[in-house]
Amino acid sequence: MAEERMTKMSLAEKLGYRKGDFTKFLKYIADDPKKAAHDFVYGKEHGERRLGDLYIQPTGLYRHREWRGIKDTFYYFNKIWCYNYGMMVADILSSEQPLTFFKGLWRYRWLGQTYIPVLHWFDRGLEGLRGPALRGSAWHYRGMVHATIEQFMRMFARDLRFHDGKETDLWKKTVIHNETVSGSIFYPFWDNGLVDIPLEMIPYFVTCHVNSNTVLHYIDAIQALGLPSDPCPMCQAESGVGIMDDYPDSAPCFVTSNEACDASVATSVIQDWFLNRPLFPMPQPMRYDDPLVQKRCQEEIEECWKFVEEQTGVPFSWDSFKKYAELQNEQLYFEREKWEVAANTSSYPINGVAQALYRIYYSQYGWNSTWKLLDSRVRKIMEDCVANNINTFPKTRHRVIAWSCAPLYYSNWCTWAYNCWGLNTIMNMDSLMFNKEIRTDTYEHALEDLSWYNELAPMRTMAVGGHEHVFQLWEYMEKFNCDMVMMYDQLQCKGMQGIHGMFEDEFRRRGVHAIWFPHALPDKRTVSRHEIRDCISNYMIDVMHEEPLDPSLLDFDDDLTW
Amino acid sequence: MKLIFKILKIFCIVYSVLFAVFYFDLDGKLLYYVYEPLMCKHYDNIEGRRNIIDVPYDMEEKY
Amino acid sequence: MRDLKHLGYLEDLLQEANNELIQKAKRDGRVCIASVCENIPEPLLNLGNAFSVRLTAPNTGSMDIATYYMTGLLCETSRALLERAIEGGFNFADGVVSPDGCTMINRCVENMELLQTMGKGNEHFFIEFMEIPLKGDDNGVGLLVKQCANHILKPLKENYGIDTSDAAIRQAVGVHNHVCELIREIGDFRKEEYPRITGYEFHILTLATYVCPKDLLIPILEETLEEVRNREPEPAKARARVMVVGSEGDDSGFIKLIEECGAFVCADRFCFGSLPGRNPISLNDDEDALTQVCAHYTYSCQCPRMMNMAKVYGRKQYVAELAKEYNADGILYDQIKFCDPWAYERMLGSYMLREDYGYPVLSVDRPYNIKSSAGQMRTRVQAFVESIELKKLQGGAK
Repeated sequence: MAEERMTKMSLAEKLGYRKGDFTKFLKYIADDPKKAAHDFVYGKEHGERRLGDLYIQPTGLYRHREWRGIKDTFYYFNKIWCYNYGMMVADILSSEQPLTFFKGLWRYRWLGQTYIPVLHWFDRGLEGLRGPALRGSAWHYRGMVHATIEQFMRMFARDLRFHDGKETDLWKKTVIHNETVSGSIFYPFWDNGLVDIPLEMIPYFVTCHVNSNTVLHYIDAIQALGLPSDPCPMCQAESGVGIMDDYPDSAPCFVTSNEACDASVATSVIQDWFLNRPLFPMPQPMRYDDPLVQKRCQEEIEECWKFVEEQTGVPFSWDSFKKYAELQNEQLYFEREKWEVAANTSSYPINGVAQALYRIYYSQYGWNSTWKLLDSRVRKIMEDCVANNINTFPKTRHRVIAWSCAPLYYSNWCTWAYNCWGLNTIMNMDSLMFNKEIRTDTYEHALEDLSWYNELAPMRTMAVGGHEHVFQLWEYMEKFNCDMVMMYDQLQCKGMQGIHGMFEDEFRRRGVHAIWFPHALPDKRTVSRHEIRDCISNYMIDVMHEEPLDPSLLDFDDDLTW
Repeated sequence: MKLIFKILKIFCIVYSVLFAVFYFDLDGKLLYYVYEPLMCKHYDNIEGRRNIIDVPYDMEEKY
Repeated sequence: MRDLKHLGYLEDLLQEANNELIQKAKRDGRVCIASVCENIPEPLLNLGNAFSVRLTAPNTGSMDIATYYMTGLLCETSRALLERAIEGGFNFADGVVSPDGCTMINRCVENMELLQTMGKGNEHFFIEFMEIPLKGDDNGVGLLVKQCANHILKPLKENYGIDTSDAAIRQAVGVHNHVCELIREIGDFRKEEYPRITGYEFHILTLATYVCPKDLLIPILEETLEEVRNREPEPAKARARVMVVGSEGDDSGFIKLIEECGAFVCADRFCFGSLPGRNPISLNDDEDALTQVCAHYTYSCQCPRMMNMAKVYGRKQYVAELAKEYNADGILYDQIKFCDPWAYERMLGSYMLREDYGYPVLSVDRPYNIKSSAGQMRTRVQAFVESIELKKLQGGAK
C-alpha cells in the first residue's frame, strides 16, 4: 500500500535522496564528458531522459525537476515557475478585495488544499516538453490559473461569510450558476455590471486536475447521506461541496441546468436545498438536433434573462451581448485555426492536456481579456512553428484522438503517454464542443445561435441526443489524421456506457486501434493512474508490439500524488 | 557603483536560492509534507459550518 | 380473503411480454405501439386500432448480452429490456416511441435500433425518439405538444393510416379514463382499515393495464371491481401499512415480498403504479385534446427528471399527501439499481419524508428481478415493519 510505503521512508528518502544516485551521476560524467556537456547544454535525448527516475514514489514529487538543457530549463524557471508564482500574487493583489484571499484560504478546503500546489500541476502537464511546445502549452496553463484566481477572488469579494452576512452591492449584482451553464448566457448583463460565477468550477472542477485528493471529501460527503456510489461522480462531488457547506455565499440567485445529464438535474435539486435561494432551472434539450426543440430552448434562455433582471436589477443590454459574442467568435475562429494546424501539420505547439483543459475552461467560462492576450502569444509561437516547419512533438509514433469524458484526476495522462510511448494526443472530444459562432446581425439570429451554442456544451455535444453524435468519432479521426483512439471509459457515465458495446463492435469492424481507458472522472480511487497506464502499456506491448521510448515510465507508483 | 554591486550580489544570491528551490522541488516538498497535512487537519476541524441536515428544505415558492 | 376470479389469469398474462391479449389484438389486425416510459401520453398510442404496450421483461435472468452492450453500471431495467429485445421478445411491436427521458432508457432503445432487434418483416415499423419537457410549465406543455404531434401522431398516420384527429384522441382518452376510473375505484379500497384488496392483487391489475391492450381488460376490471366491492376483508389488520414510492415497479414479486413480510402496500407511487399513472384525464371543449392530454402529463408527472422547483417540492408533497390519504404508516422508497434520477430522489425524498413529515422511511435499491436478492430485501422489509410496529406500540407520533 502506498501509505504504508510512505511511513517506512526516511526523511532523506522523502526529500529525494536515493543511495547511489550521486555516484551514478559522477560516473555518467566521467564515462563521456563530451556527451555530458552536450546534455547539459541541450538536454538529453528523449530516450535517455528516464523521467520516471525523477519521481519520489509514491508521492509524485520530484527528486529534482527535469533538466531540459540550459535554454529550456531557464525558460521554465524564469517564465513559468517564477513568472507564475509572481503573477499569482499579482492576480490576488489586483483583485477587488485582496485580503479576502486569506479568509478564503482559511475557510475553504478546495482553495487551501488544492491551489497552493498549483505549480506542480504545471510540472505534471509539461513533463518532457521542449521548445515551442513547452512555451505554447505553458501559456494555456497560465490562462487557466489567472482565470481561476479571478473567479475565486470574485467569490470571496461577495461572500456573505466574509462580510458579516451583509448583502453588499457586489453580492446583489452577482448571479451564480452551474459550471455547465456557459458564461455566454450572461453576456447581455456584463456591461451593466453583472458578474456571473460558475459555482462549481473552482471548488470542484479545477481542483480535480490540480490536487486529486480534495474532491474525495466531497464525494464521500454526499454518499454519507445515502446516495449510491454509481451516479456520475462529477455530480456527486458538486452536491458534496454543498453538503460540506463549502460553497461561498456569493449571490442572491442561482441558475441551473440539466447539462450534461440526468445526474446534473438531480444535483440542481440538492443545490436548491442547501443554497436556499431563488433558483432558475434552464434545461437544454436532449434531442437537440430536432428542429422542434429550438424554440423552447430559446424561450428558456429568455426566461433566464428575465429571472436575472428581476433578481439582480441589472438590465439586459443588446449592445453588451453583441460585443462579447463577437469577441467570443474571434476566439472561436482562432481555435479553428489551431485545429487546422493540429490536423494538417506537425507544428502544433500545444500538448494534449493543455489543449483540452484550456479549451473547456475558456469556452465554458465565457470571453475574458486574458484569453485574448494569451491567444496572441500562442498565435505567435504557432505561426513561427508553421513558418519554420518545426516538428513540435518529434517523437510522435501515433496521432491519437481521445474520445468521451476525460479523466480529471489524470488529465496529464497524455503527457505521460507521449513521453513513454510517443502517443501524441492531437484532439479530444470535449474540445470539439461549443463549435458555433453567434450571429449578431439581429436579436433573433443571436438568440437562435446562442441556443445552439449552449446545446453544443461539453460532454453533451457528443454524448447525448442520439448515437449519431458520439459516432462522429470516425469523421474526426479522419479530419485530424489520427490513427489511434484513446477511448475514455468513464465507468459512471451512463450516456457513454450505454453505447459501449456498439463502440466495441465498430472498432472491430473498422479495424481501429482503440485503447479503452477506464476511469471515474474525479475519483482516483476507483481506477488508479497506475491501472490506466497499465491499460495503455499493455495495449502498446501486446497489440502494437512496440517498445517504450522511456522505459522508466512504464511502472512507477504515484498513488499519493496530487 | 558599490551599491549596484551590492544589489547585484543580493540578486544573485536570491536567484540562486530560488533556482535551488525550483530545481530540487523544495516548494513541492514543503507543500506536500508540511503545508497540506497541517491545512487538512485544520479543515477537518472547522467549526461554524452549517449542518445541511438541519436546514429545512423550504417548501414555499421562493420566487 | 376469497381469491379474485381473474387474478390467476392476469398473473399468467404477466409472465410473458408478448402475452395472450397482445397476440389476440395482433390477430385482429391491430397495431401495437410500444413505449418505455411513463412520460409518453398513453392515449396517443391508443388511437384507432392501435394499442399501447409498456415494455417489460418478466422473469429476466441473465443480462449478459445487454451488459456487453450497455455495461454493468446501467440501470437493470434498461439492460433487461435490451436483453429481451435481443432475444426477440419484443418482435410483436409495430412501433416504438421512446422519450429521451433518462439517458439509460434512451440508450437502451438506441441499441435496440442499431441491433435491429424489432420490426423484422414489417416495412411500416418505426422507432421514434422524442424530446420531453424537463419542466412542468406552459413552455413544457408546448414542447410536448409539438413532439407528440411529430413523433407519435405523424408516424401513426403515415405508417398505419391511423386517425389522429381531435375526435380520435378524445375517444382514446375516453377509453383510457374508463380504465383509470376502474383502477382508481378498486385502488380506493386500499384506504380502508380492513382493505378488500391486497397491494399485490392491485399491482397485478394495474400492471396489466400497462402491458395489455386496455380495452380488452375492461370487462375483467369491471368484474373485479364488483367482486372487490362484495368481498369480505381479512379479519386481521396488516402489521404496517406501507406506501411504495419509486422507479420502475413492474415486478409484482417485489410487492408480494413486501406483503409477505407482514406489510400492506396501501399506495403505489411508482412508475408502473396507479398514482398518478391512472389518474383520469379531464378534457374540456375549449381547447384541443392533444394540448390537454399533454398538459395533463406535464403537470401530473412525478418523474424525478422534472427540475423546476414546483415539481421538485411537489413530488415530496405529493408523496406526503398520498401517505395521508391512504393512511400509510411508513414509506418505502425504492429504486432500480443504477438508476441515476431515482438515486438522488430517493436520497432526498427519504430524508424529507422522515424529517419534515415524520414518516418512517425505508430506502432501498433493488435488482430488476427481485428474485435475485429476495433474501436481503426480505430482511430489510421485515426490520422496517417491526420498527413501525414498535413505534405504534410505543404510541410514537408520525
